[in-house]
Amino acid sequence: MPLPQISSIRTPDRSLQGAMNTRRSGGLSLPMPFFAIALLLVTYGLIVCWSATSNDPDYNFTRQLVGVGLGAVCMVFFYRFDYRHFANMTTILLVINVALILSPHLPIIGVEAKGAQSWINIGMQVQPGEFAKVTVVLYAASLLARYGGTLDDAREYAKVVGLLLLPFLCIMTQPDLGTGLVYLFISAVVLVMGGAKPKYLFITLFLCVMAVVAVFALDEVIKNSTGEYKLLKQYQRNRLLVFLDPDANTTAEGYNLAQAKIAIGSGGLFGKGLTMGTQSSMGFLPEAPTDFVFCVLAEELGFFGAMLLIGLYIALVASSIRIARNCDDLFGMLIVCAIVGMWLFQILENIGMCCGLMPITGIPLPFVSYGSSFMLVNFCMLGLIGSVWSHDSSLGRKGGYGS
Amino acid sequence: MIEAIVIGLIAAVAVIAIGAVVVTIWNNRKSQTAGQTKSVRQLSTFGVGSSPFERQSAALSNKSGEVRVGQSGHGSVKKPSDTLRSRFVALGVLAGVIFGSLTVKLYSLQILSSSEYRSDAEDNLYSTVRTPAPRGYICDAQGTPIVKNRTSQTVLADPDVVNDRDVMRRLSVVLGVPAAVVRQRIQDSSTGAQNRRVVMSDARLRDVAFIAEHADAFPGVSVESRSIRDYPYGAMAAHLLGYTGLPSAEQLDVEYEGREIFSNDTVGKSGVESMYDGLLSGDHGQRRVTVDVLGNVLSVVSETQPVKGSDVHLTIDARVQYVADKALADLIAPEGVLGEGQGVGGAVFVMDVTDGSVVALSSYPTFEPEQFTGSIPVDTWDLYTAEIAHAPLNNRVINGLFAAASTYKPFTSIAALDYGFADYKSEWNCKGSWDGFKTGVAQKCWEHSGHGKLNLHEGIVNSCDVVFYEIAKSFFDHGPDGSGEVSETAIQDVLAKYNLDKATGIDLAGESHGRIPTPEWKAEHWRNYPAEAQWRGGDYTNMIIGQGDVLVTPIEIAVAYGAIATGKIVKPHLLKEVRNAAGDVVVTFEPEVIGEPDVNPEYLSFVRTALRGVITDNESTAKNFKKYGLEAAGKSGTAEHVDKGDDAWFVAYAPYENPKYVVSVVIEQGGGGSAVAGPIAARVLSAALDAYNGTSEISPMRLAGYSGKAVEYKTEGSARTD
Repeated sequence: MPLPQISSIRTPDRSLQGAMNTRRSGGLSLPMPFFAIALLLVTYGLIVCWSATSNDPDYNFTRQLVGVGLGAVCMVFFYRFDYRHFANMTTILLVINVALILSPHLPIIGVEAKGAQSWINIGMQVQPGEFAKVTVVLYAASLLARYGGTLDDAREYAKVVGLLLLPFLCIMTQPDLGTGLVYLFISAVVLVMGGAKPKYLFITLFLCVMAVVAVFALDEVIKNSTGEYKLLKQYQRNRLLVFLDPDANTTAEGYNLAQAKIAIGSGGLFGKGLTMGTQSSMGFLPEAPTDFVFCVLAEELGFFGAMLLIGLYIALVASSIRIARNCDDLFGMLIVCAIVGMWLFQILENIGMCCGLMPITGIPLPFVSYGSSFMLVNFCMLGLIGSVWSHDSSLGRKGGYGS
Repeated sequence: MIEAIVIGLIAAVAVIAIGAVVVTIWNNRKSQTAGQTKSVRQLSTFGVGSSPFERQSAALSNKSGEVRVGQSGHGSVKKPSDTLRSRFVALGVLAGVIFGSLTVKLYSLQILSSSEYRSDAEDNLYSTVRTPAPRGYICDAQGTPIVKNRTSQTVLADPDVVNDRDVMRRLSVVLGVPAAVVRQRIQDSSTGAQNRRVVMSDARLRDVAFIAEHADAFPGVSVESRSIRDYPYGAMAAHLLGYTGLPSAEQLDVEYEGREIFSNDTVGKSGVESMYDGLLSGDHGQRRVTVDVLGNVLSVVSETQPVKGSDVHLTIDARVQYVADKALADLIAPEGVLGEGQGVGGAVFVMDVTDGSVVALSSYPTFEPEQFTGSIPVDTWDLYTAEIAHAPLNNRVINGLFAAASTYKPFTSIAALDYGFADYKSEWNCKGSWDGFKTGVAQKCWEHSGHGKLNLHEGIVNSCDVVFYEIAKSFFDHGPDGSGEVSETAIQDVLAKYNLDKATGIDLAGESHGRIPTPEWKAEHWRNYPAEAQWRGGDYTNMIIGQGDVLVTPIEIAVAYGAIATGKIVKPHLLKEVRNAAGDVVVTFEPEVIGEPDVNPEYLSFVRTALRGVITDNESTAKNFKKYGLEAAGKSGTAEHVDKGDDAWFVAYAPYENPKYVVSVVIEQGGGGSAVAGPIAARVLSAALDAYNGTSEISPMRLAGYSGKAVEYKTEGSARTD
């Protein structure tokens, strides 16, 4: 049985390029509700971000605006770009991924901060691991798209899983567990949506659980022989302990969680008003504009503000899933699903850690957290989804490549 | 609660509504545009099945081809998502679970327990800063402050500064303290693990200003202005004044009425500071302020000023106290080196016999309370607790237990007269040694050559032991082991009338009490050694001269001599009056008479005459007292020890006719009572009377505490010279 080889990918027929642009050439050139929701989200996020940064001279709201501006440019670029070009670039995407994720290890531009090689300095400090989320999405989707929605061969499955693990393994050299988990979640969503056999999925899940248990067990063994934990860092242990027992912890992590919950809880129904949040403006809340920005929102705008954000997220996710459902191309569908998976995971982890549902990790909240890298990434994702929507054409698919 | 549930329901409905609206709009839009593409898509489905690119994966395309055929039969649009419908449901469910659980959690945080978190947020925002109140002064009877306050700049560091080598090095350079010492002080967690550590108390203003100006270079370092105790006379009266420090864990736990104690407060730890802590401490000032996370005060909400503690005026006369302290220091450590003078420790206690007012209370070796302010550094503590230092922190006046020696003889004489084993005309013959019990081991009189014939008066004046051995033998012969006419505790009963086994009740904590040995006590004490537990004749002879198992404190003996002088036992006290911050007297001490020993006045006056004789008839003692023109009565004593030097005693009161002050002096391992303790008793008694008569010319000066300089004390051979 001939297996799909990365080298056997064909490029779309150029003569059919014009015919592909069915929606772009029509009267309705945008998926209106989707972009309307995205616009609302970005606006709302900017308002909250402005409030969170207004009392903190360490943060510059203008930079965030610049990030949004750049993001809009990227979005338009991805939107107009036919996403199907990416379908045959699996190898290239993998190379880009590995290069991006490993770039902080380079001697001159690599920057070490907070014990991790996660940043590079190219005039400004950026986190290539964030941008790699885009390529990981495309990489995973293109990998799975080859199987046409059914992956029930064990060897093929093992190969795909192995290839999907590569970005995760690369990011763990920094190490950055938070971003690594995002990659894993994207990969998992793509695996599931790409039609992998349920039996394999359950076996994989079981193996993952065993792997986590093994890491902890191995760490204990290492501690017994060398006297200290090597695999999991102490702060990671603290975060886990805080999560399991929030009251009995006096570490910095326990303090962070307690202050986050106070900020959210004290917001009440309508909140204290924009920029009036005492927890954030007086500095009790750590990392208020970035990782704990949701606490600022919940404190200043209350339960209603939080529900508005969640409602917008639901709308975004629902309309994205809608696009995926209506997409007649597996690759496009997988891209959208992967992006939805990424958003879901980031939302769950970020809001969850703020209110004590999840252990603390430094994962930003889409469209709200301060930070232009992730803002750019999110706009790219919007552009990709738009691209999937607009290039959804039977002619294009047929003429472009088979799947 | 109902309100909360309603809000929750509204929110849930709102979220569902938003989702529904989005989906509906979307559907409408789709249905308008989808129709046009339908036919094309059907075409394409067909096309894919026969696509020339089919060979890519036979198995995969076969499968998808099958499905597509099946679905095209229904006439619907062929999309990859159709084969994966259940997975989309799973994705939807996942999203639903995520958003649902987040909503529920937010609902419980923001609606159900919002009020708790709101008060937590206020606790964060507002904080009550307590400004410690300055403690009240401690003054002597003349109103001279002997303990005051002054402002001191304290340099504090957070515990984690110990990890910052640079900051510690800078501190070391600026403060002029070795880096190792800075590290040690920051590591010292004796004041509590979370508390800031004192790097330097009482730092120079110049250094403090430097640190304040370069705050960036000293993260975690802060400077605090504190009101601390100031002792203008140094170590003078240290034991009775006591020292202050941070509250112990117990003090923080105990709730005092009308007094709040916080961890950085100053509380009295011993002496008057501890006894009258409630009066001295005053009320905290309170400022309710808004603070940011760094503890910076942003605004003051309300403020009350601290109220200074009341001034405690003592009955102590600084001039007499100074003389007493100085006399002990001059004798025991003339060059400031402990062990080079006479004795290793001493105590002087002066009391007004009429009302129990304590005029001087002095113990040596001593300490400077200032060194104990705040927390006690480990090296200081080690220095003071070393064996060679002879316990400078011990207040020998109330806690020093010594054999009473011949100072017991006035009381045992009264017992002898009471029971008729001696009268004014009884005569004994002292040959220097005595073996009344025919044990073969003779007991010696301090005068080894013998006193010859003497009566009871002469026996007291010359402190002849043989006279008292004979009396003891009479008690023994008439006791349970002899004819049984008197009780086995006949002597002890008389001694107990003078409370020689009871604490005097002075207003100082932890006073010890003496011991009058009884057969009962001995049986209990030696219960595991029955051979030793028996009450023998030797116990009588030992006890009657204040040796053996007898123990008294200097304060007990002084109060008992006061009772001989006046007939009344008074309760000694240090407090004279308390003045509040405005200077008004709020408390005045009322003298208290504890009792009158039931003793024949005739015997009492006989004993007084004998005590007067001790002073006038012994040549050297007479000289000591005549030097100051004192008309005193008193008794010397020399307590013998098997393994160390003799303790020198002298107890006296004056004036003889109209007693005013009683003084007791003891010099630990000092030698003979009249030679060593006598001159001090005379000097202090005269100082007290001068002060009382207004003719004192003494102006107290600063005294030094134990410096750590000490040498091994050379014990002189035991040779009593009572």
